[in-house]
Amino acid sequence: MRPDASKKIAKATPKSGPNPVIIGAIIAAVVVVAVVVAIVIGNGGKSGSSSAASGNPVPVGVVGGTGGGILASPTTAKPNAPTMDLYEDFQCPLCGELEKALGPQVRALSDAGQIKLVVHMMSFLDSNLGNDSSTRAANAAACAADAGKFLQYHAAVFAGQPAKEGAGYTDAQLTQFAQTAGITGPALTTWQKCTTTAQHAQYVTDVETAAGKAGVTGTPTVKLNGTDISKTLTTPAALVAAVKGATP
Amino acid sequence: MGRWGAVRLPDLIGLLARLILGVVLIWAGAAKVTHPAVSAQAVRAYQLLNYDVAGYVGYALPVLEILVGLLLVTGLFTRVSAAVGGLLMLAFVFGISWAWAHGYALDCGCFGGGGTIAASQTHYPWEILRDAGLAACAAWLVVRPRTAYSLDHRLFG
Repeated sequence: MRPDASKKIAKATPKSGPNPVIIGAIIAAVVVVAVVVAIVIGNGGKSGSSSAASGNPVPVGVVGGTGGGILASPTTAKPNAPTMDLYEDFQCPLCGELEKALGPQVRALSDAGQIKLVVHMMSFLDSNLGNDSSTRAANAAACAADAGKFLQYHAAVFAGQPAKEGAGYTDAQLTQFAQTAGITGPALTTWQKCTTTAQHAQYVTDVETAAGKAGVTGTPTVKLNGTDISKTLTTPAALVAAVKGATP
Repeated sequence: MGRWGAVRLPDLIGLLARLILGVVLIWAGAAKVTHPAVSAQAVRAYQLLNYDVAGYVGYALPVLEILVGLLLVTGLFTRVSAAVGGLLMLAFVFGISWAWAHGYALDCGCFGGGGTIAASQTHYPWEILRDAGLAACAAWLVVRPRTAYSLDHRLFG
C-alpha cells in the first residue's frame, strides 16, 4: 500500500473544492462594506444641523459664528486688546490645574479689558470617560452666560472639579455652582429651565466640532491672537508678559 | 505535512506570528469599535490628517483591524491579510514617531482612549517597539505565508 502516491495524485487533479477567487472576492467585499458602514455610522452621529440652521438658541456672548466661543466680558475689552481663545473641557484635570494656576490672572486681565477672552467649552471627554458631564456642564455654563455670569460659573465648576477624573458632576452640583456664581431669584429659575431642557446642547456640539476643525485636539489649549501659547504658559507672570507682547 | 505527524518548525513560527498579530489586531479593534467618536478624536490628536479625513480613519480603523485580525487568526488569505496588517503597523509607527518628533504628548489610542496626556505619561519607545515587533510578524507571513493549522491549507491545499 502506498498512501503517498494516492495523495500526490489527488493533489495533482483539479479540485472541486472552494474557489479562492470567489471566497477572496466575498471577503474583500465584506471588508469594504463594513468599513463604509462604520464611516457612515460614525459620521451620522455628528453631522446634524447647526444651531443657527435649526433655530436653537445660541447663548449670549457667542462670537465667531457657528460653534464660536463665548466672549467673557463683552463690555470691558479695550479696542486694541489681543484675543485670547481658551479651549477647555470641564472634566479635564489639566484644565483644572491651569485654572488653579492662571485662572485668577486670566479673569483679572479680562475684567481690566486687557484681553478679549473667548472661552470654548469642549465636551469630547464625555466619550472618553463614558459619561455626559462635560456636555451637561458646558450647557449649564452656556445657560449661565445667558444670565451674564459665564466666567463666574466657569470658575465655580473648575473649583468643584472632582479629584478623580471621570467622577463627573451631578445635577445638584451644577445647581450649586450656579448659586456660587451668584445666579439668584428669577435668573436662577431661568437658568434651571435652560439646564433641564439642555437648551444649548446643539451649541455645545457645534463648539466641539468647530474647535476640532480649528485644529484644537487637546485641552487645555490657549491661543493668543490665533497663536498657540499653551506650552509657554507656566506662571501668571509669563501670561502677563505674553499678553503685553501681543498688545500693539 | 501529515495531519497528525510532526509539524515543521517554520510552519509553527508562522502560526505563532499569525496568532500574535491577529489577536492583537482583534483586541485593539474591539477596544475601539464601540466608541467611534473617541477613535476619531484619537486620530485627530496626531494632527497628521485634516479634521474630516482623520474622522473617517478613526471610524474605519477598528472595523478593519477586527476583520484583518480574524483572517489572520483563522489563517485565511494569510499573505494578503498579513500585508494589510503590516502596513497598518508601519502607519502606526510613523504616526507615533510623528507625534513624538513634534513634541505632542499623546496616548497612542491603540487600544481605545487616546488624545493628549501629560508629557511624563507618554510611552513612545515602547509603543514603537511593540508595533515594530508586530510588523516583523507580518513580514514573516508575507515572505512565508504557509503556516500550521491554517484555513488556507485546509481549503485550498
